[in-house]
Amino acid sequence: MGIEFRNVTKSFGDTKVVDNLSLEIRDGEFVVLLGPSGCGKTTTLRMLAGLEPVTSGDITINGERINDVPTQHRDLAMVFQSYALYPHMTIAENIGYPLRVRKLNPVERAERVKRVAAMLEIESLLERKPRQLSGGERQRVALARAIVREPRAYLMDEPLSNLDARLRVQMRGELKRLQHQLGTTTIYVTHDQAEAMTLASRVAVMKKGRLQQFDTPLNIYNHPANRFVAEFVGSPSMNFIAGEISDGTFVSDALRLEVPPELAAQSRVTMGIRPEHIEVLTSPQEGAVPASVYVTELMGNETFVFLSLGPQRLIARAPAEFRAEVESRVWLRFAHDKAHFFDSVSEVSATKRHKNID
Amino acid sequence: MDHKKAHSVRYLLLVPALVFAVAPVYWMLTISLKTEVEQFATPPPWFVFTPTLAHYYDAFVTRGFGQYLLTSAIVAVTSTACALVIGTLAAYGLARFELPFRLNRRLSLWILSTRMFPAIVTAVPLFLMMRDVRLLNTRAALILIYTAFNLPFVVWMMRGFFADLPRDLEEAALVDGDSRLGALVRVALPLVAPGLAATAVFCLIVSWNEFLFALVLTQTEAAMTLPVGIAGRVTQYEIKWGVMSAAASVAIVPILVFALALQKYLVRGLSMGAVKG
Repeated sequence: MGIEFRNVTKSFGDTKVVDNLSLEIRDGEFVVLLGPSGCGKTTTLRMLAGLEPVTSGDITINGERINDVPTQHRDLAMVFQSYALYPHMTIAENIGYPLRVRKLNPVERAERVKRVAAMLEIESLLERKPRQLSGGERQRVALARAIVREPRAYLMDEPLSNLDARLRVQMRGELKRLQHQLGTTTIYVTHDQAEAMTLASRVAVMKKGRLQQFDTPLNIYNHPANRFVAEFVGSPSMNFIAGEISDGTFVSDALRLEVPPELAAQSRVTMGIRPEHIEVLTSPQEGAVPASVYVTELMGNETFVFLSLGPQRLIARAPAEFRAEVESRVWLRFAHDKAHFFDSVSEVSATKRHKNID
Repeated sequence: MDHKKAHSVRYLLLVPALVFAVAPVYWMLTISLKTEVEQFATPPPWFVFTPTLAHYYDAFVTRGFGQYLLTSAIVAVTSTACALVIGTLAAYGLARFELPFRLNRRLSLWILSTRMFPAIVTAVPLFLMMRDVRLLNTRAALILIYTAFNLPFVVWMMRGFFADLPRDLEEAALVDGDSRLGALVRVALPLVAPGLAATAVFCLIVSWNEFLFALVLTQTEAAMTLPVGIAGRVTQYEIKWGVMSAAASVAIVPILVFALALQKYLVRGLSMGAVKG
């Protein structure tokens, strides 16, 4: 079902929690709202669910304005961060609750609960109470309660944040498969950029109530619209070096780099470059910049090299077998065609306009 | 060893407290079972006497205590039920909906303030009001007044219980397609049931024992409650200790049974909110 936010604003007193948000979500899409805590992503979701009134603007589902439709008539399903399982009901009663409310007869209700339970492999838990379940099991029950009926969309509010790391990755995969299988529009809120990258068909990055960029994960990663998006997405984070552009060259205290000719001369600019686009060399080479190793972190499959380039601290990704002593001298080669340039004042990307649309 | 010591100290303190609490009840029970001669014997026969049920027969067969008991039961149960329904809905509203002008807090304090003046102050006005609407000597008058007097208590107790309940659960119920009232009945209420039970017991005890308004507003046999009926045995010419004790002994039974039946909830309800989780 197509969902649209049209100039939606939400204020609590004088603070705008969501500021003039416009977002068009297509039928069957898996959209992730991504941002740090307090960016308004959960409020956005709650407005869509009808749990929070909209201050101004419109929310539509399939073209129908739903601002004033009460929650229970919106026909959406939601998975809460806390799971919000009814503690006094058994798992079967929990999953069957949306059907019971819709006065579905008990026989069919039981059948559908069983079918969904089988799908999520929780059949053996049906007679238990929520408090007897582990976190992962509760998570499945919350999901089951959402998919037991066919709602117009699923809303998920950080559903994986209470799970341990291993389980989170596993459930992430299962969620993706489930959504693929059901094909239902899903709106998913998270502050974890890895979840956003892996799950989303499109990611909406938010900051302080404002939408920063709404695009595919790959475009978000490769063509961030501004410095915030560039920094928030990707781990380890992008490196930033302040400087200026003149005569097709980026100049900072410790670095000179050729830039694409279409970039205009600019006195205050910040270059952003991802750790994988800095090559660390142990011997001097043509065009490589000298730097010193601050510390290295072995990850097993690769090595993170923390570097000092003048006063600047950088991080680079090196192969697993890369070894260097602390304070040893190295040379850096920047993949300058992968560098991003942001206006230092507005923080908007200057490189964005030549992104390839895909 | 220390543990044992603490144990004995605990009993050393508990036993006198228990004796202190139970002694009047024991005194009342024995009086109700003694003949009038034995009631006034000195020293009183503490444990050994010839029990008689004559006073019970006198109270409930010869006199109209059965009628008083019935009136008390109807008034107490109905007013408790009314106070619980109205008070719970009000408490839910105050706990869950944000009203403008900080009305949540103001309304709550206003409701509480009705309990801050002594009941006797309202006795005369209420008498006049009830006379004007022709409700003197009716159970309806007592039900109305007991409901009103229990409401602040119900609202404040239940408001606290609802406030401690995570909103998520009712929000989940709404998203699942339930109405607000449905979410209250099917999700919120079962979770505050212990609190509701504790509140109910208190209301029932208050209504059951109430004496002042019952005395002022009911003069006829048909509308008289048990406390008024019992006190009525103190007359100009005689004090029927036996009959009074017999009636009072019966009067404590329903409350005792009710409280015991809800004991499990009572303890949880009273400590709810005190400890999170």
